[in-house]
Amino acid sequence: MTLEVGGIIDLSLHLLDLLQNSAHAGARNIRASVIEDQERDLLEITVSDDGRGMNPVEQARALDPFYTSSNKKQVGLGLPLVAQAATMAGGSVSIEGNQSGGTRVVVKYRLSHPDRQPLGDVAATMTSFIAGNPLVDVLFEYKGPKDTFRLDTKEIRAEVDKLGLGQLAFIWETEEKLRGGLSLAGYRPDRGGLVHEIDGRS
Amino acid sequence: MKSMEDLERLKEETLQDIRLRSSSGSPRIVVGMGTCGIAAGARETMLAMIDELKTRRKLDVTITETGCVGLCSKEPIAEIHIPGQPKVVYGNVDPSRGRQIVVSHIINHKPIDQWILNIEEKS
Repeated sequence: MTLEVGGIIDLSLHLLDLLQNSAHAGARNIRASVIEDQERDLLEITVSDDGRGMNPVEQARALDPFYTSSNKKQVGLGLPLVAQAATMAGGSVSIEGNQSGGTRVVVKYRLSHPDRQPLGDVAATMTSFIAGNPLVDVLFEYKGPKDTFRLDTKEIRAEVDKLGLGQLAFIWETEEKLRGGLSLAGYRPDRGGLVHEIDGRS
Repeated sequence: MKSMEDLERLKEETLQDIRLRSSSGSPRIVVGMGTCGIAAGARETMLAMIDELKTRRKLDVTITETGCVGLCSKEPIAEIHIPGQPKVVYGNVDPSRGRQIVVSHIINHKPIDQWILNIEEKS
């Protein structure tokens, strides 16, 4: 197996990975938030879901790259990579898995830490996740330097359904709302602890 | 640009098109979005394909995703399901390939042979 570890180059891609974990756990409702707190010098990404939860063994080994709940592969790199990026940036990961269902992952980074990865394209992350998971309702919140932006897929779905349009129209509308709302809240994809270049992919 | 107005116009433009189309079901795109897919740029591929469908005013396509299918070195991977045709799996689908697959395979029904990893008979 080849995996370009350097491929997860920004925090929005880690967020996408966390969201995928929730979807994989059978979540139907997901709350995700990205909070930039200048006063506390803290960047916090939270994903909580109503999926199947985690048993104590899974929870204890979630950050071990050679542990996976999948029987099709031998490694599970998602959470370990998330943890590595957080630790490098003076932060931490906490996972609260409930055996009866639901998991909450909170990732913290020091906002101004020189090794904190830039946020990247959170609108792209949310749009692609929402597009790929039509059965999941997502409540997303971003607290930025200027304002707070909230997006509720239930509301957008209801609007688009009134027009009798399908999934793609819903996705286009979601992306537009995300890009507009994030920008108004003061979101900047390239703002890292230091100035990081976001490489173009080949 | 008022997006709901845009959608209203788009609805009028395409409703007739949708009615004319046979009821044989709609094409489906499945993008691999495991950690390996994400690291290889699957997010950008999916958004490029969605954008191309928007440009082409192609509304009757379903998009979903799947996890790691064990071909991490070939990510991003995209599968195209067209009702009545075999499932086609493409590898190394960067955004540019994704757009070309939308136009050639989904709209013009011409698969792009050189990027195909696998063809599965049952669709």
